[in-house]
Amino acid sequence: MATDIIIPSDLWDGDEECVITAWLASDSALVSEGALIAEIMTAKVQYEILAPASGTLSIAKAQDEVAAKGDVIGDVS
Amino acid sequence: MIIAPFATAKDGVAREAALFQAGKPALLLWQAEAQALVLPSAVARRPAFQAHLQQTQAAGYQVVTRGSGGGIVPQGACTLNLAICAPHGSGFSLEDGYRLICGALAEALSRFDIDAQTGACPGSFCDGAWNVLVQGRKLAGTAQRVRTTPEGRVALLHAAILLHLPDPGHWAELCLLNQAAFPSDPLLRPDAHTTIASLMSEAPNQQRSFPGALIRAAEDRLSALMLREKRAA
Repeated sequence: MATDIIIPSDLWDGDEECVITAWLASDSALVSEGALIAEIMTAKVQYEILAPASGTLSIAKAQDEVAAKGDVIGDVS
Repeated sequence: MIIAPFATAKDGVAREAALFQAGKPALLLWQAEAQALVLPSAVARRPAFQAHLQQTQAAGYQVVTRGSGGGIVPQGACTLNLAICAPHGSGFSLEDGYRLICGALAEALSRFDIDAQTGACPGSFCDGAWNVLVQGRKLAGTAQRVRTTPEGRVALLHAAILLHLPDPGHWAELCLLNQAAFPSDPLLRPDAHTTIASLMSEAPNQQRSFPGALIRAAEDRLSALMLREKRAA
């Protein structure tokens, strides 16, 4: 069963979008729960995205793509 | 000593990162001796940008990456850095983070009868909505990084404050690298900036007093935030 990687909705107040500035693990890589796997940025604030589970990473939104709060940017299965 | 001196900006950025990793409330005011250009790691990782970085290094300027967002910042004797590690509890927004660090700067400046505002400043380096401006010119740029720890979120708030303008060679290299990294941004203009040296040019003792006023203002705000977080827990 896959666990979605979601941009938390409480990271910032407004409805601004963010940019996925980096994936720090490759598509199909094995990742451990809690590992730093991506960075996103909005309004000159860089946020870390941690793996929500251990398993194989599947990237749904690529680096430099725009995303909104609550978006699924990948999953771990 | 109020200002921590580092030989290189890399050392200062590393000290900030260590404080951030520790996850405890902390303040650091620092300055680097060697001239450098500091840019977000997300920009430095771009494959198309590698040749530009090599040119900058060949010209004799250190290139240092940092974890927080934003643009390219000149480092060296021209720049004073304020770093604040703060708890980022629920209800603490990115705007709150910017208000905290910009407010500390504005309060410190007010001690010298200098009025500061926040806002964008086209033509300034590392432009954003949360610059600290004096008479419409940029004095300081700010950025943040937020990480999640088992104890909750922690924010690293950072301000780069211009003590004086970079020397002409340093400025030229900043402009070249900035244009390569952000080709759609306006060209950088020296007259979009102001400096502590120019604002306090008639009272050199004020320039010496400013770091102390700044650290006290930052300490007051961080203490108040920690108290609010403690009460909310």
